[in-house]
Amino acid sequence: MISRDVGIIGYGSAAYDKKPRQTLFGYIAEACRNALAHAGVRKFEVNGLAVDAALGGDTAVSTAEYLGLSLSWAYKSTAAGAGPIMSVVNAVRALDAGVADYVICVGAGAQDIAAFKKRIAQFTHAVSDYLAPHGYGGPPGMHAIIQKKHMARYGTTREQLGRIAVDQRANASRNEAALLRKPLTLDDYLNAKLVAEPLRLFDCVMPCSGAEAVVIGALDRAGGKGVRLLSACERHNHPLGEIAPVCGGWEVFRDQLFEEAGYGPRDMHFMNCYDDFPIMAAMQIEDLGFCAKGEVGRFLEENRLTHDGSFPFNTGGGQLSCGQAGGASGLLGVVEAARQIRGEGGERQVAGATRGIVSGYGMISYGHGLSASAVILEKA
Amino acid sequence: MSYPEPTLTETNRPLIEAWRRGELVLQHCAPCGHIIFFPRELCPKCWSTQLEWRKHSGRGRVVSHSRVYSHVTEPFASESPVTLAEIELEDGGAMLARVIESVISAQAESLPPVIPAQAGIQKAEIAPGAAVELVPMPDAARYSLPTFKLA
Repeated sequence: MISRDVGIIGYGSAAYDKKPRQTLFGYIAEACRNALAHAGVRKFEVNGLAVDAALGGDTAVSTAEYLGLSLSWAYKSTAAGAGPIMSVVNAVRALDAGVADYVICVGAGAQDIAAFKKRIAQFTHAVSDYLAPHGYGGPPGMHAIIQKKHMARYGTTREQLGRIAVDQRANASRNEAALLRKPLTLDDYLNAKLVAEPLRLFDCVMPCSGAEAVVIGALDRAGGKGVRLLSACERHNHPLGEIAPVCGGWEVFRDQLFEEAGYGPRDMHFMNCYDDFPIMAAMQIEDLGFCAKGEVGRFLEENRLTHDGSFPFNTGGGQLSCGQAGGASGLLGVVEAARQIRGEGGERQVAGATRGIVSGYGMISYGHGLSASAVILEKA
Repeated sequence: MSYPEPTLTETNRPLIEAWRRGELVLQHCAPCGHIIFFPRELCPKCWSTQLEWRKHSGRGRVVSHSRVYSHVTEPFASESPVTLAEIELEDGGAMLARVIESVISAQAESLPPVIPAQAGIQKAEIAPGAAVELVPMPDAARYSLPTFKLA
């Protein structure tokens, strides 16, 4: 395990909005306050901060200035949607090494449509110079090419992938914090407005504003509700040099991840993955070993992904139903995992859940997201 | 309204200037032979800085593609759908690029995907394996990066 004594001891969110009602720092502050209240940790005890957000010229340190925190550990991740998982992992490692006592890991976004459009045309140097001049259509255009390849190579269908969007929406109907809660049928999914063939509206996350935060500290502070990190891995820029691969870095570290956790995929009580598009969620199911490569279509036909289904998946509705709040999106699955493991899932509680996996994906560049991460969590 | 342009640097200047003449040139690594796209100061495979620009035929095949209907910037929104494809070049190397289709419509997705070129039909539908070539001059001058059409 990553640490015997240190883990997640609380979590909190800032309410999500379709249009921002406050600044990025406002969302960060709201989530941090709620997370500390949930953990029962007081502000003056916090001396570590990790931030996942498009901060511009700001850093974790100037975020601390805004929040009035004095820090012995400050961290800002570099892996976009795969980053927040590793922020949590690195915070646990830092506390285990004694460099801080309590850390808040916060991910946030405050974006209107104009800000989002500007951001996606300039994700990286390669995107702004070699994709945006073609009218690449942002992440949907890129992931459409990836999905089409997966469909051609493995026979995956939209009917199969649609089960991810439909079942996650059913989970979201039991999550008051989700922005999209209206029931979604497979027909709605199949016939929605075309965005980038073969992707339609409900294949694509809705950019929004909000924040998620977790508090890392001594597990004995959690009153029996701590969450331990059993194992975690990250992989960047795999596979090398392939423009639109139908696999990701998860396949490289899958065996190590489960071996270090001492469990296999079947021992997981739920999976929360980075679901910017159902095809990427499907690839994480494959690459993390829940089914063989290329067989996710059949896997989706044979399983229900609802909180009470055979494969509880993105049990709060995921980004596809909650919305993608910038840097909060990679932390959404961690917060929901902690909620489930603590038995605080309410109407969407996975019965008897004490252990689960959360995976991340991000850092969109020339043809695909470059970064993959995953963590296995268990009740302490 | 003109298309967005890549930032012109000493590193990508040969690519951009060749394309202004309607030609495709790519960096080849002298020691290891790796063909590099997008342009860089070093070979990402062996880290050599001995790179040579070589002319390519501009012919290739579609690996995967998408017609993109939802655009964030003009002038692409008014040209929707824009077809974007991963293209494998016949002289080696690969890139993502725009493909100009002669027949495009919102209903095109439901058409038969492949009309084999050997059947003698002139206009192939874009599909995996479809042959593409560079848009010739003077049309090429409209686009800021190498752009293809169905061959």
